[in-house]
Amino acid sequence: MSIATPRDKTNRLSSTRVGGKMTADYWDNIFTAKERGKHVVWYNGSALNPIFQAAGLEWCHGEAFAARLAAQHLEEPAQAAGSEYGYIGELCSYARTHLGCAVLTQKNVNERESGVVGMLDQQELAAKLPAPDFFVNGYAGCSTGQQWDAMTYRVFDRKLPIFNVSIPMLWGNKPDAGYMRGEEWNEASTYVEGQLRELVKFLEQQTGRPFDWDALSESMSYIKKASRLRLDAMELCTLAPTPATYWDWVASIAPINFLPGNQALVDYFAGVKAEIQQRIVDGVSAVANERYRVYFDGIMNWNKLGFLTRKFAEYDVAVVAGRYTHESFWQEPQLIDVDNPLRGMGQHYLLCPLNHGLKNLQELLLKRLDQYSIDGIAFHSTRTCRAMTNPQSMLAKAAERERGVKSFVFEGDVADASFYNDELFDSRLEAMLEAIDVQRMKTMV
Amino acid sequence: MSELHAPSLATLRTAADDPVSYAQNWKDTHRRPVIGSFPMNFPSEIVHAAGALPVIVQESKTPITEGRSMLAEFYCGYTRSVADQAALGELDVFDGFVAADHCVQLLGAVDAIRYVRPEKPVHFAQFTSAMDDAWTKPRVDSRIGDLKTEIETVVGTAVTAEDLARSIGLFNANRRLLRRFYDLRRSGLIRITAGEMQLLVKSSMVMDIEEHTSVLETLLDRLVLRDQAPDDLVRLHLSGHFCHAPKPEILDVIEESGGLVVDDDLYTGYRYISTDVPESDDPLKALSTWYMQRNINAPCPTRVTSKVDWDTYLLNSLAESRSVGVVVLMAKFCEPHMLYYPELRKALEEHDVPSLLIETEHEGIPVETLRTKMETFIERIRRHSAPVPA
Ligand code: SF4
Ligand code: SF4
Repeated sequence: MSIATPRDKTNRLSSTRVGGKMTADYWDNIFTAKERGKHVVWYNGSALNPIFQAAGLEWCHGEAFAARLAAQHLEEPAQAAGSEYGYIGELCSYARTHLGCAVLTQKNVNERESGVVGMLDQQELAAKLPAPDFFVNGYAGCSTGQQWDAMTYRVFDRKLPIFNVSIPMLWGNKPDAGYMRGEEWNEASTYVEGQLRELVKFLEQQTGRPFDWDALSESMSYIKKASRLRLDAMELCTLAPTPATYWDWVASIAPINFLPGNQALVDYFAGVKAEIQQRIVDGVSAVANERYRVYFDGIMNWNKLGFLTRKFAEYDVAVVAGRYTHESFWQEPQLIDVDNPLRGMGQHYLLCPLNHGLKNLQELLLKRLDQYSIDGIAFHSTRTCRAMTNPQSMLAKAAERERGVKSFVFEGDVADASFYNDELFDSRLEAMLEAIDVQRMKTMV
Repeated sequence: MSELHAPSLATLRTAADDPVSYAQNWKDTHRRPVIGSFPMNFPSEIVHAAGALPVIVQESKTPITEGRSMLAEFYCGYTRSVADQAALGELDVFDGFVAADHCVQLLGAVDAIRYVRPEKPVHFAQFTSAMDDAWTKPRVDSRIGDLKTEIETVVGTAVTAEDLARSIGLFNANRRLLRRFYDLRRSGLIRITAGEMQLLVKSSMVMDIEEHTSVLETLLDRLVLRDQAPDDLVRLHLSGHFCHAPKPEILDVIEESGGLVVDDDLYTGYRYISTDVPESDDPLKALSTWYMQRNINAPCPTRVTSKVDWDTYLLNSLAESRSVGVVVLMAKFCEPHMLYYPELRKALEEHDVPSLLIETEHEGIPVETLRTKMETFIERIRRHSAPVPA
């Protein structure tokens, strides 16, 4: 007897494949950086890449590489190397994966003189991270992010220069504090902007070249345009049924987070927006039979990306927005003054969704619940990411109290598949959907 | 049988075991506010100078109930306990809360306090944690300035430079006395168990500093020194355990297995009292100097710097205290510690120093399993090298 495969009810955007190809090309290019005689910076956290781009560097983003390995199910060799080195399995799995890469990279640097990290004996890792020339850390909200680079520095025998951008948390001490407003916001913006100026000086020392301010303005002009297109396209998804989902926005994270600011980036998001517009004209929805609109809170579970996309759709759930996708990645382009971009850049780093106290997060969540007509929230209790998990139970209560929006919690992790529990997922999602149904029945009576 | 003066120890134990009751009594007697703060870099001197009682909030012994719905199970025991105590109203004695450290789990717990007790002032003076930059000290100066203003508002008293200088003097004197106990313990001329040392330090985090100092003085007066240090015990260094005190039963097992703890870098230990505040500078600026200097004297893995290393510091301490083994106490889920641990392990292995990692949990750990592990560890050290004679 054969078991019928359930119908795939998802209808992903085809234009995001272009982004996937651009990202793959970006990494292929990174792997040959040393052969091309380029300076390589390893960085974590905030999207400092436009500054690196203007400085003529090649940039490797730690979480991005860890996420990529996890999405391709190739994280294990790096995590095994990390674990052999002594990293305990409860430590941030991005950090563990990337530190594992650092251990392998360092081993390789010592073993070969080429400077290119082969891991040739570990083909499955499919990665050849070029050894760094120096590190830059700019992690908002999460202390782990900053300490992770402090350790990478040590894995590389404390020999390479490291620059830290200290990004203060938007905690909300003062009564006038709120999302992008108040004395705290202005003061923190100035503090971070000042450090970015120092970062530029540091890069000039490292590269031996004067910084190209025009190049920075130019790349930020593309990023600003790309960001506007992305936000316009997201806005179109307030329609029900939605023409694109959270999963499509996840597929667009890499381009907006670390690909070079150039015309290709703008064209990419123009393509995404055009496809969504066309879907609206044609009456095409992203999930067949959309019955529930759900918001996703938590960092992405990269190992389970396709799996979760199909899974939610099986239940007629359209995941339409999320904290990770909608509250980060150049999401306030009006802040960017192309002619003098550092302040607006620093402000975006401050606006990382891990960098707010609960009050701001509540404000943002309620806004999204209204904007996207959300019925329920999926809280990904991201096992090794405390920064994302910190406020979740309180956000859940606020959503229920303020808007009557139901939620459920499921376990998983950014880059460690072992923490995901499928049975719990099903039963908790079903319970939330039932609660939504009951609520709907009541309002109909 | 303890070699320390029992009635004095009992006074310290009462406060350390139940800081909230101590705070309530103090408040009733003095009719002054009580301010709760958090590990590991808070300058209590400012609160004291404002005439309030500074108390570093401690992990509670009770199992976590209400707090379970606030922070996930994969948070360190300290933060879950803090959220739990707040949710149960056990921290209501405090008139306000102040934090200076940025550990992401700690911030989660402090945000949970704001959520369950919205009427309480909760101030966060984020001390820049990257220690090598030219802008770190000025920034910390300004955070300390804000902190002072906030404390003045909550307490209702303006703090003068003289008040602050006096408080700094009192805290320095207390730290000096505590370091004296450390010296004596290292010398082997008095046996101070790890549990007792913890009591001395922990009580200083929660008690009125002058009262605490006077108890320490009594303890010192009553000390009877030995002629010679015992030479049959394995000298150990306890390393790690941030933010909260490891359970005394764990410390007891370590010593019952034939180890003599002669030094530590625990937060509820030497880390807390490693550094005095300079008394010559402008007292507010002196507090940020203290913050910077502290990380040099006892490098802290929640800070980032390339100037000093915890592993180098640990190896130096071992040489000074002539410890022959290290017991690493790690609070489960403590990320800064998990991140740094491999560096320590590597350094110890390179120097052929035996070490044992013990992960601790709020709910406790099976003592008999620990005992077996410890005995094997001590045995390994005895075989590995004859204990260094004291
Ligand atoms: S814990 Fe989360 S926010 Fe922190 S470094 Fe890891 S992935 Fe980033
Ligand atoms: S430093 Fe460690 S023990 Fe302290 S709050 Fe953070 S995780 Fe908990």
